[in-house]
Amino acid sequence: CHTSGMLTPNGKEYVQKIPREELTHLILKLLQAWKEPLSHFNLHIEHHEELPDDSLSKAKEISNMVHELKTGVEKVTEKMQSMGIISNSLNGMASSEGTGLSISNEANMMSDSDFIHCFRRDSNKVQSYLKILKCRIMPENSC
Amino acid sequence: MKQRFISSAQIILQLALTTVGLTGQSYPGKPQIIRCRSLEKETFSCWWKPGSDGGLPNNYTLFYSKDSEEKIYECPDYLTSGPNSCYFDKNHTNPWTTYIITVMATNEIGSNSSDPQHVDVTSIVQPDAPVNLSLETNTSANMSYLWAKWSPPPLADASSNSHVYHYELRLKPEEKEEWETVSVGMQTHYEMSSLQAGVKYIVQVRCMLDLGEWSEWSLERRIQIPKERLPPEKPTIIKCRSPEKETFTCWWKPASDEGLSTNHTLLYSKEGEEKVYECPDYKTAGPNSCYFDKKHTSFWTIYNITVRATNEMGSNVSDPHYVDVTYIVQPDPPVNITLELKKSVNRKPYLVLTWSPPPLADVRSGWLTLEYELRLKPEEGEEWETIFVGQQTQCKMFSLNPGKRYIVQIHCKPDHHGLWSEWSPEMYIEIPTDFRVKDMVVWIIVGVLSSLICLIMSWIMILKGYRMMAFILPPVPGPKIKGIDTHLLETGKSEELLSALGCHGFPPTSDCEELLIEYLEVEDSEDQQLMPSHDTPSKNPKIILKETDSDSGRGSCDSPSLLPVKCRESRAFPSTLQTQDVRAKEKKGGKGTWETQCTASEQKILPCNSESTSPCTWLAAQLPSSQPAMFAYHSTVEAFKITLNTTNVNSSPVLVGNEENHQSLYPIAETVYDDVEKKSEMENSKTDQTTVQVRKNQHNDKSPFLNSRLMDYVEVHKVRQDEEPTLLLKHKESSGKTKKCIVPGTSKEYTKVSTVVDHHILVLLPDQRMQHPPVSQEPVAETSQNPQQTQAEKNTSYSTTAPSNPTRDTSGSDYMDPSSFMPSFK
Repeated sequence: CHTSGMLTPNGKEYVQKIPREELTHLILKLLQAWKEPLSHFNLHIEHHEELPDDSLSKAKEISNMVHELKTGVEKVTEKMQSMGIISNSLNGMASSEGTGLSISNEANMMSDSDFIHCFRRDSNKVQSYLKILKCRIMPENSC
Repeated sequence: MKQRFISSAQIILQLALTTVGLTGQSYPGKPQIIRCRSLEKETFSCWWKPGSDGGLPNNYTLFYSKDSEEKIYECPDYLTSGPNSCYFDKNHTNPWTTYIITVMATNEIGSNSSDPQHVDVTSIVQPDAPVNLSLETNTSANMSYLWAKWSPPPLADASSNSHVYHYELRLKPEEKEEWETVSVGMQTHYEMSSLQAGVKYIVQVRCMLDLGEWSEWSLERRIQIPKERLPPEKPTIIKCRSPEKETFTCWWKPASDEGLSTNHTLLYSKEGEEKVYECPDYKTAGPNSCYFDKKHTSFWTIYNITVRATNEMGSNVSDPHYVDVTYIVQPDPPVNITLELKKSVNRKPYLVLTWSPPPLADVRSGWLTLEYELRLKPEEGEEWETIFVGQQTQCKMFSLNPGKRYIVQIHCKPDHHGLWSEWSPEMYIEIPTDFRVKDMVVWIIVGVLSSLICLIMSWIMILKGYRMMAFILPPVPGPKIKGIDTHLLETGKSEELLSALGCHGFPPTSDCEELLIEYLEVEDSEDQQLMPSHDTPSKNPKIILKETDSDSGRGSCDSPSLLPVKCRESRAFPSTLQTQDVRAKEKKGGKGTWETQCTASEQKILPCNSESTSPCTWLAAQLPSSQPAMFAYHSTVEAFKITLNTTNVNSSPVLVGNEENHQSLYPIAETVYDDVEKKSEMENSKTDQTTVQVRKNQHNDKSPFLNSRLMDYVEVHKVRQDEEPTLLLKHKESSGKTKKCIVPGTSKEYTKVSTVVDHHILVLLPDQRMQHPPVSQEPVAETSQNPQQTQAEKNTSYSTTAPSNPTRDTSGSDYMDPSSFMPSFK
């Protein structure tokens, strides 16, 4: 996976240990890293004739969801920063852009099944991180 | 005798024997040679079996002789072969001769010898079995050999080891039944290779000399062939599971153990790393498992796991198993399940379930989010109803049946990829039945009421059913004449009928005259039928008035009859037909004849007894059919209408109203006259002839038949053509009063029958004489004369005796008074 290079905690304790800012940043980084490859993938499979009809629309839907999720997380981050829950230290999104480009190059060379596999994993990662983050920040409901 | 003798002899013999037995002494029993055998053809032995010894010590001696020799020898050696045996050594054994051997047993009393036995040495040769059988296995180069060794049977004479035996070997696996026999030859050892590893075999040998028989099989020897030594088979990894997304365990299926101890080791490597690790913990999760604790568990990385089985001969590795822990999470079932019944507002119970996530799952930190699903079914039901509940840990169930017992189970799964847990243990809950007293009472009341109503309804139906049916489906009216027996009618016996009706002497005799209104005058006085005479009330009215029931609906010539009933003198009242509406009915032929067709139905005879009180209504209406005339003296209009409409042209109903006592208005069948049509101008231009329709009586008495009163008579008043024709029925007595009619100015009375038309129509002419009703005898006479006829022909009307006398009409009978048809009323 093209995101394998990213250092991500892969255990509950580790996730709970890293500071919230870092976690947030990580989430955003991940989401960002997938933006480009997803669109590329969508273009790629449009010419695929063997796939069932749902796949195309589903893929587009997923891309949108990722994008929206990213936007949402950004907004939440801003809010959190403004509220002082997290600090403003890691605002270097620009750097992530740079890495994102190189990463996406790798992504383009993956096979479809690998792509999907990687995406599945990373989306699970993001989901878990977000949940942990949520419970760390707002422990009231269902945590 | 003989039998007795024999039996006694037997008894004596037995006594002797028993005596002997008691004393225990007798001669010995017969010995028996069991067998003779030669071990090696040079010697042989014989054994015998002694018989009963007779109580004393026996001596046995064996005698033999060789064939073709007479000499008898004794056994040379009694000892060598054991007791009761004889051993013939080499010197005494001659293989080519046949020995004849007998054994004799001797004791003090006597002796006994066995049967002689012919023995041929060569045929009794049987060696002993081989001995010292030993087995060995040898495994080399994956082959197992069996090595068997034995020794020939021992002989007493060691020097004769030169005998050459043939050997045979047999073996079989321990559990099997069939032997495998191998011919070995003359050697005393043998090697076999095609044996199954790991099987226990049994081996035996036997020998034989070149002639004779095989020896017995030697004793069994067993040997276990060692199993094959192979490296183990390939183990397989069954599954890996993580119960809480923090640790995981893998289980494998071990390779089959073939006697050699096998070791299993689990090795894994992580994605992206080359290093291979070994399972950190083989014990925690049980045998053939490997437990990865938190430290060794990494998420979002793929593990490559293999198991290796090792034994002395080698090792074997399973196929690799790739695992990402994220996707193998299968939690434990939820715990702390509570079922609670609560009552809702409208008293229906509902179930509240609550549960907790399994203890290991870390839901609080959000690391693992569980979704729950519960299922329930009634205890006796077959299908579960599964309800997905989501992430909540409580649920309310409303749609449960009271009185039933339900089974509830819950399970959970991670919200992302993962596996459903096992179902929690079954929980039972019973929904109480809610017997609301009020409900039951209501139902009971409803039930009772409805049953009551049903009863009442059925009762009503039973009682009034008949009437209701009559109301709904009114019965078809049939002819009914009071006092008339239809049977009689059918038989046509007029006499009887008439007598039954109370009238005598139909056809009307002259007696009828008396019934007639006094005013009625018949011109022809031949038959004074019409002559109303008051004096002979005894004359039998030939015409019987029919009394009709008002509700019979049948026309009857009932009641206030047209005819003056003498019997009603006192109350004779003319039945005045109101001149309301007299319309001349349109005749077919346009004949303006007033037809007083009193087609009394043939049997309508007006009872004219003075005593009779029944008013006679006489209605002439000729029915087209032979049905009895429908006297329109009945309330229903229809009847008359019918009659009117259905009557032939020639018939016109003449209705004479019934007179009720002092009632000026005769309730002539009002109905009848209703639709009397105007008659057209008659052809006969008799001036005063008009057809008159009796019109409805003005009297609105709806009881057309004043049955109880007889109408005394009817006087037909004149009918004027240009006026409203009126038929006035005049009472004979109260002639003065009879002028009820409104007929203006008409002073004529139609009392004169002018013609009879068509044999059944009387045409009346006005009469000049007022109070002298001419007696129209003739027609009456005719009528009366032809009672039979009328009776016979069912269609004839009274009035029409016309058929017989078409011409007589003019004789002066100006009118047709009903009396003509009727026997004299008394």
